[in-house]
Amino acid sequence: MFAIASMNGIVIGVIYALSALGVSLVVGIMNVVNFAHGEFYILAGYFSYLFATALGMNLLAAMTLAVAIVFVFGLLVEYTLIRPTYGDDLYSLILTFILSIVLQNAYLLIFGPYPNKPPGWVRGATDIFGLFMYGNQRLAALVAGTCVIVFVFAMIKLTWFGRIIRATSQDRGMAELNGVNTTRLNMLSFGLGCALAAAAGVILAPVFPVTPTAGVPVALTAFVVVVLGGMGSLRGCIVGGLTLGLVENLGAAYLSTGYKHVFGFIILILVLAIRPSGLFGHKEA
Amino acid sequence: MRKISWLLVLTVALSLLAIGPAWSSDTIKVGVVGPRTGGAAATGKAFEEGIQLATDYVNAKGGVLNKKLEIVFEDTAGAPDKAASGFERLATRDKVVMVLGESHSSAALAEIEVANRLGIPFMVVEAWADPITAKNYRYVFRAGPSNSGVVNDTIAKWVAAEQFKKVAIVAENTDWGLGIAELTEKAMDKAGVPYLTVTTERKSQDHYMELTKLKAFDPDAVLAFVYGTGLHYFVAQAGEVGLTPKAIILDGAGPPSLWPDFWPNVGEYGDLECFVSSMHEKVELTELATQFRKSYVEAFGKAPTDYKSRSMFDAILIAADAINRAGSVDAEKLVEALEKTDLTVTRGKVTFGTEKGGPEYHHWMPPMLVIQWQNKEQVVLFPAEGATGKLKR
Amino acid sequence: MSQGASILKSNRKNFLYGAGLAAFAVLPWMLGVYNQHVLIVCLFYTMMAASWNLIAGYTGQISFGHAAFAGIGAYVSGILAVKAGLNPWVGVAAGTVAAAFFGLLVGLLCLRMGGIYLSLTTLGFSEILHIIINNEYEITRGTMGLQVPGLTTSYSKISYFYIFLVGAVITLTIVYKLVHSNVGLNFRAVQNDERAASALGVDVVRTRLLAFTVSSALAGMAGALFGHYMMLITPHIPSLDQQFLVLSMTVIGGLGSFVGPVIGAFCLEILSEYIRAWGEYHVLVFGLVALVVARFAPKGLVGIYKAWRGKKRPETA
Repeated sequence: MFAIASMNGIVIGVIYALSALGVSLVVGIMNVVNFAHGEFYILAGYFSYLFATALGMNLLAAMTLAVAIVFVFGLLVEYTLIRPTYGDDLYSLILTFILSIVLQNAYLLIFGPYPNKPPGWVRGATDIFGLFMYGNQRLAALVAGTCVIVFVFAMIKLTWFGRIIRATSQDRGMAELNGVNTTRLNMLSFGLGCALAAAAGVILAPVFPVTPTAGVPVALTAFVVVVLGGMGSLRGCIVGGLTLGLVENLGAAYLSTGYKHVFGFIILILVLAIRPSGLFGHKEA
Repeated sequence: MRKISWLLVLTVALSLLAIGPAWSSDTIKVGVVGPRTGGAAATGKAFEEGIQLATDYVNAKGGVLNKKLEIVFEDTAGAPDKAASGFERLATRDKVVMVLGESHSSAALAEIEVANRLGIPFMVVEAWADPITAKNYRYVFRAGPSNSGVVNDTIAKWVAAEQFKKVAIVAENTDWGLGIAELTEKAMDKAGVPYLTVTTERKSQDHYMELTKLKAFDPDAVLAFVYGTGLHYFVAQAGEVGLTPKAIILDGAGPPSLWPDFWPNVGEYGDLECFVSSMHEKVELTELATQFRKSYVEAFGKAPTDYKSRSMFDAILIAADAINRAGSVDAEKLVEALEKTDLTVTRGKVTFGTEKGGPEYHHWMPPMLVIQWQNKEQVVLFPAEGATGKLKR
Repeated sequence: MSQGASILKSNRKNFLYGAGLAAFAVLPWMLGVYNQHVLIVCLFYTMMAASWNLIAGYTGQISFGHAAFAGIGAYVSGILAVKAGLNPWVGVAAGTVAAAFFGLLVGLLCLRMGGIYLSLTTLGFSEILHIIINNEYEITRGTMGLQVPGLTTSYSKISYFYIFLVGAVITLTIVYKLVHSNVGLNFRAVQNDERAASALGVDVVRTRLLAFTVSSALAGMAGALFGHYMMLITPHIPSLDQQFLVLSMTVIGGLGSFVGPVIGAFCLEILSEYIRAWGEYHVLVFGLVALVVARFAPKGLVGIYKAWRGKKRPETA
């Protein structure tokens, strides 16, 4: 029991971290919480399903295209909805909250209430050290998710763009003085945040098929992970995701399956009570 | 303060606007309640299909009381409070003579209170909770399965017939899941079959921990009371962790195993899964059922899958028949006519129980089948007289 | 303006206020049962939106737990009535206190951090509440809903209308008094510039905490009354859908204005009665209207009206 609970905790934890990465990035740079994060995730899931199943595209091409479309959609949303709210963090929260409800209902009309699942990459399950059976598609999602996370970290640490991002999230005014076009940066990073949601969506849709409202729990866990790890800290995102995954699965294994998702929230409240800035957050001035 | 008075004037004006136009027409209106939005919107779709076919059928045969039958479909979103106010809206604004439908027990339990208060005959179609008819309300009927009916007449007898030694019960944390699981536990106690019950969160997508617990118990059969997409996740993941095919899963509701995306979602793990249903893809109990299939294919260009479309079809036929026999739309006369119903619909001959005291009052329990997917073919396992094959493991 | 004229004007206002209220109070007698129900629901949303506006509009803190606090009020009152046989009116009071208590706790936990922390924590809080309600089926009856007694011995829409009217007037009066007191000045100071307010000696956290607790208590009262009116308490009362409605009403009416939430509540509830016939489209239409208003008229209908009047009569603007 402990072995599979830990294993599943790690896999789900990486999935959580992946879903939260986009939220964390946008919070770090723009101080905007994208409430419709889960709906972008779902949109990419739908697109990859459509392209792969209805249009018969190659799986990888379908996924890439889906992420690209959601990226562009994210840019558009930033341009039309988010940009006018700069300086008013809470108004963007209201706007994206309404946007999430609008998108959920639009999906219901367009894609119908049934779950949609893009074709799996692999089939069957693997025997892990003779201890338990584990679904291959989940293992594949673990690998793909880890790759995306590593890629994002490499981009932030190693590239010129990453340096601009780090500079802006540390001190916006200073970055502007040094010639960073923060308006364009905002647009780009919001799009990137959406693209990360989309990446999570295309990786996970074969494991957890998408429905119009399936984005809500995704976004909720992403927010918990972000607060847990510390607003805007990418490292905190990974630690927060893994913590949440492990706590939920060990709690489900030994305490109660019905209360699985409450364990995560309890950890969140404890962290807020003891260390309000999260595990890796820097204290706000 | 001027703001406030201005505001009050505005609200008064707006409120007056709310008075909808009262129209009269030469149709007889029957209300339908069901979820058109929210998590169970698929049921609303099935109801719509049933409504379309049934109104065409009834009106082609001369309608009701020489007028056209008109159905007003009110969305409940599966929420009891919306259901109660929706029901009230149908009765007080649309002035329907009778209301049919519902697939959420929680919503139905709210609606029967309104039906009883307003004295509007209400025929529940696919809400299974026992108290709906066990409350013995005069205006409430049920032309569809009840939890205790499904558990005692079908599931428990099937478990006994297949001689399962140990069963696992999985319940989603909703009124339906927890309620029917409790009834199943009682039935298993009575039959002396050891069982393990595991609760799962309705919104959960990941069932690995629940499944690991089940696997450790090593049951012959898993009685799964999980509705909607949750069932697809559950069946697929049960295959991944190796719970199936050693154990046989029974979908205790039915429709999710028939949804068009069942196979894409569960893949090869769907083979050998069993489900409860009132409809089989080939076997028809009545002539009308064959006719229903034919007109369904004509109207929608596909074979009927969700049996709830046919349940709605039946309910409208029962209602039209009662209105015609009552010879009026008076509620009391309608109740009397419904009590004397003796009509053959797609699922067999309908008669309502009239003995007070239990859930059988005003209830017609349609025959339910246990069907197994064998190489994507439906094989009826239970009851024995309708069986088309044997359980494959 | 002389003092006399001022008194005269204030008398006229009071008169108009009373006349308007009286006109509204006789309204249900002219309406059918169904429209009486619509009015009652409008008044419920007025209470919800006005109390949410207290925290969101006046102190700039977006709580996603407002529906959850209404749920606490409803469930506490309902469970006390069903399990302990308490008089529903005592239950409503207990529910209000319970909502205030939880509001205080949540506020203490995250108002120090404020802003987004509050939004996300209240969201988490509302989710925990939902899971507990679903799992503790024995006590709460889960998704089935808890059947509770009504507030009056015989069921009558008219009496519920007056109960809700009184509830709405109490809510609006409390909000009005708070906003137009010294505390209210602090509210706005906190919203406009936290640091400056704190430098001027305004205790930022305590000011927000007060607003948050009062707002939660008012939501609890609204929820408890609504539960007893429907005679059925379900997890839909503390749901995100409900939260969405309350938020949209406030935003469309006018965030941070006193009359905004009232107008929003009435407009949206009545609009929803009209577009309900569109079935699955109606939530989408609702959302789109809210999105357009929130984006292009962030001050809502009240803002639009003010701008229009400002243009027409620039001298009085």
